[in-house]
Amino acid sequence: MATVMTLLTNFVDATKDYDNFPADYIAVDLTNDYLIWTAGDSVVKDLMTHEPTSDELNAAATIIDDSLDTTVALCLLMDYSHDVGGSYYTHKIIGMSENKQYVFCFYFNGTTGTATIPRLEAWDTSSHTTIDKNVLGLSVPANSMIKAIRTTDSLPGTGWIGTSIAGAANYLELDTAARSYSTQVYANIKIVIPAAYATPSAETFVLTVRYTYL
Amino acid sequence: MNLYTIIFEDNSVYQGGDLENTKWVEIPNKKIRTIFYSLPLGDCLGLSEYDKYYHYIEVTTDIMGENKGKINLEFAYLIGKKGTTYKMYKINLRTGQVEVMILEEKDKMIQQLNPIGWH
Repeated sequence: MATVMTLLTNFVDATKDYDNFPADYIAVDLTNDYLIWTAGDSVVKDLMTHEPTSDELNAAATIIDDSLDTTVALCLLMDYSHDVGGSYYTHKIIGMSENKQYVFCFYFNGTTGTATIPRLEAWDTSSHTTIDKNVLGLSVPANSMIKAIRTTDSLPGTGWIGTSIAGAANYLELDTAARSYSTQVYANIKIVIPAAYATPSAETFVLTVRYTYL
Repeated sequence: MNLYTIIFEDNSVYQGGDLENTKWVEIPNKKIRTIFYSLPLGDCLGLSEYDKYYHYIEVTTDIMGENKGKINLEFAYLIGKKGTTYKMYKINLRTGQVEVMILEEKDKMIQQLNPIGWH
């Protein structure tokens, strides 16, 4: 059967991998759950007891700094089923943007594994054709604000920079080789807004995993 | 309809699966004479006289955005190896268009292929 990818996010301890500590991870229901990148505040935070509204999210937006690049401080998993760890709607993704190894886990099932190395890509929309948005560098992939780094085998390092991902040319390889068995690979992902960036905006974008099977 | 049909040198026949379950890894370990491959727009592609053959499916799954969670069939790849040269048919599963590429052993795309897929 076809290999299927599952996204798992760490909500307990980013020094623990999924193989040995599966209870530290939430399997993301990609149909209903979603990721929220935010500065956070007293309302939009870890362990919310309701789904955040648009107004609440706007109030917790990241402020662009005049002189320093700004890393979006918080990534929350909005857990639609709110059935993990005490009926909370949001869970902070532990270790996001930090020097942490086991943050975003991509699990590929299936007896045939993958035919090639899976990739993490970023696009404007689900058509996977353009990268015109501010967050994706206004069509200049190197200027993408989305930074990602493979952490399967090691920590990303203090102050990690990562790969600016946008479009078909700038992507992150999630592994070092194709695998003949089910496997988990890890990455850390962050959004860094350049200092004094001139165009404030609330943008949606698409992160996609491109993978293959035999 | 089967995605492909294989005729072996001993004249036996193997029927492939579909895009979700290609049955490529279950192909018997016998010398292949010809592969007849069904293209998305109804045509059939025939490959023969290669040393080895490879086939895989490329998909995407969005983890953010309006279509997140859906598995999108993107491309099928059919490759024939002769010596150190590889002829690759890249079949767009959305449009049906077929792109043909000639690759060499040293090309990253060839080197990173999972070796269990060669027949």
